[in-house]
Amino acid sequence: MLEIKDLHKRFGDTAALDGVSLSAAPGEVVGFVGANGAGKTTTMRIAMGVLAADSGEIVYNGSPLGVEQRRRFGYMPSERGLYPKMKTGEQVAYFGELHGMTRAEARRSAAELLEQLNLTERMGDFVQDLSLGNQQRVQLAVSLVHDPEVLILDEPFSGLDPIAVDVMGTALKDRAAAGAPVIFSSHQLDLVERLCDSVVIIGNGRIIAAGGVEELKAKEVKHLRISVETPEDLTARLPGTVTRDGDDYLIEDGDDQEALRIAAAAGRVTRFAYDQPTIAEIFREAVTR
Amino acid sequence: MTQSETSRMRGLLLVAGREIRVRGLSKSNLVSLVVTVVIVGVLAALPTLIGGDEGDAKVGLAGDNAPAMQAQLEAMGGFDITVYGSADEAERAVEDETVEAAVADGSLYSLDGVANDVETKIDAAWQAASVQTNLADAGLSDQEITQALTVRPLEFVTLESGGVNSTLDYFTGLIISIIMFMMLMTPVQYIAMGVVEEKSSRIVEILLTSLKPWQLLGGKVIGLGVISLVNLIAMVAVGLGVSAATGMLSDLPPGTASAAVSTIGWWLMAFALFGTLAGGVGSLVSRQEESGSVLTPLIMSLTLSYLGAIFLLNAPTSTFAEVLSIIPPFSGIAMPTRMAIAEVPAWQIGLSGVLLALAAAGALALGSQLYKRSVLYTGSRMKLTEALRRAA
Repeated sequence: MLEIKDLHKRFGDTAALDGVSLSAAPGEVVGFVGANGAGKTTTMRIAMGVLAADSGEIVYNGSPLGVEQRRRFGYMPSERGLYPKMKTGEQVAYFGELHGMTRAEARRSAAELLEQLNLTERMGDFVQDLSLGNQQRVQLAVSLVHDPEVLILDEPFSGLDPIAVDVMGTALKDRAAAGAPVIFSSHQLDLVERLCDSVVIIGNGRIIAAGGVEELKAKEVKHLRISVETPEDLTARLPGTVTRDGDDYLIEDGDDQEALRIAAAAGRVTRFAYDQPTIAEIFREAVTR
Repeated sequence: MTQSETSRMRGLLLVAGREIRVRGLSKSNLVSLVVTVVIVGVLAALPTLIGGDEGDAKVGLAGDNAPAMQAQLEAMGGFDITVYGSADEAERAVEDETVEAAVADGSLYSLDGVANDVETKIDAAWQAASVQTNLADAGLSDQEITQALTVRPLEFVTLESGGVNSTLDYFTGLIISIIMFMMLMTPVQYIAMGVVEEKSSRIVEILLTSLKPWQLLGGKVIGLGVISLVNLIAMVAVGLGVSAATGMLSDLPPGTASAAVSTIGWWLMAFALFGTLAGGVGSLVSRQEESGSVLTPLIMSLTLSYLGAIFLLNAPTSTFAEVLSIIPPFSGIAMPTRMAIAEVPAWQIGLSGVLLALAAAGALALGSQLYKRSVLYTGSRMKLTEALRRAA
């Protein structure tokens, strides 16, 4: 369990973080969402120890996170970086060793990962000779090479082609299935919705919404949608405030069971469900509130 | 060692190892090493190639002075002498290249001139032989002639102790100062470049999740130090090896080996000083183009150290030389240079060593603090004062 507790951080006069807390349980994929400059990168940098917080703490499995434990984390910073003049295979293995693997383990793991990422033939090439997409894959390999216990990824999907997005998504799901807490930030909210178990929304250095994806959606339910095959106009007969969306009826503040009885009596009900907002809609709602 | 100490050392060594693999084994470094080694080898073999191996100069003699000339030239050594019956015979011997030159009846015959040193010797022999003949003509006995011609060579008396020993010592000093300069300048620039590379490619952010800043900087300094040392050892080994093979080694001054060893000690301290500072100031900038501006003070003081050492070679006993070889960072190059050319009191060597070691320790602390505070800061160049004010 990784817990980020009440982080505060100021840069000069600006408060970048103002009491940020979030957590990821083993096997949980957490989407970290917020506008540019909201504090996502600062939070992740502090969690990875490359930036010091003014106050607050990072707790891992019940005790403050130490250097040795952090070395077993996998991190992908928002600003990607690799040694341009180092061979791909050598570079991935080097990072494995830095994270505490033996040379043999690191080499084996690098070879396996690069094979999964279809880069086996490029292992002997300098990173600077790879295409941007392939460099991104190497970057992913660098953050996964030591089989990390926890993943903290800042915008892991930005700049990836659809195939690489799938590879990355699968990698995240696999790590989570193996019991690792995973936190990643993204602006691609459809991906967040598809991959994440829970979502944390940050705005101006504060957490403005957090919770399980389903829970958040249920909380922000908009209205009941009914489709019914009938020539009759039921607007006046259905309870609550009724509006039309095409042939559908949208009901707010009405008794759903009564609405169902009326609709079923009028004809075949083909759809009866509460419309749920997408994560994108929840996000827009949250940041404008 | 505790487990965490082991892993700290391992981190340091991993970084150093990467520098050695990527930079030391890079094609450009290997090519430049091979080129340098070949140049050093050729330079070491040059004296032999030019003169030494050609053996004795073949000279023909004829005419009245021939016996006296023969005696003079044999006394000098380095001549293979043939005496001919007449000037014509001697001239023909030059024409068909049986001899390089011939002296007959006051003329020096050659095809197209004679090498300078040979000409000087023949000329000296000619004058001595002529004087001898003239004295004999004037009626002096052989013994009187020998007495008259015996001249005691000048004795050199140096009034100040610790004066210049010899030309060879001058060149030893010169070579030490040049090698020290090169061996500091190149790795120092590479360290700064490496720091900026990691910073500009943002890889430093990933590195710092598993390494401490001092491991990253220290590993880089150690790695480039090892590369430089290996390059130096290769150069020295080839130079000494070729000298030994051509028989020149015995001509080197007796202190050469110990001078080489102590020079490495001075280099280590000077390198620690300049290398860590280069890493520290390199971290102030985020782009390679800007690294020149922050490195300027370091490059300047290195260049001044070198120029000071060159000046010192010409005035090794001056107060300037004494001061320069004691004050760091100039002492790093100046002291080993001065030690090669003049006797230096032990207390000065000791003082200089202690001061340089202290300065290196200070630079280590300052460089790593600068590095720690500014390596993650990106954007425009960071001011030195700002970096020092920032909380680590």
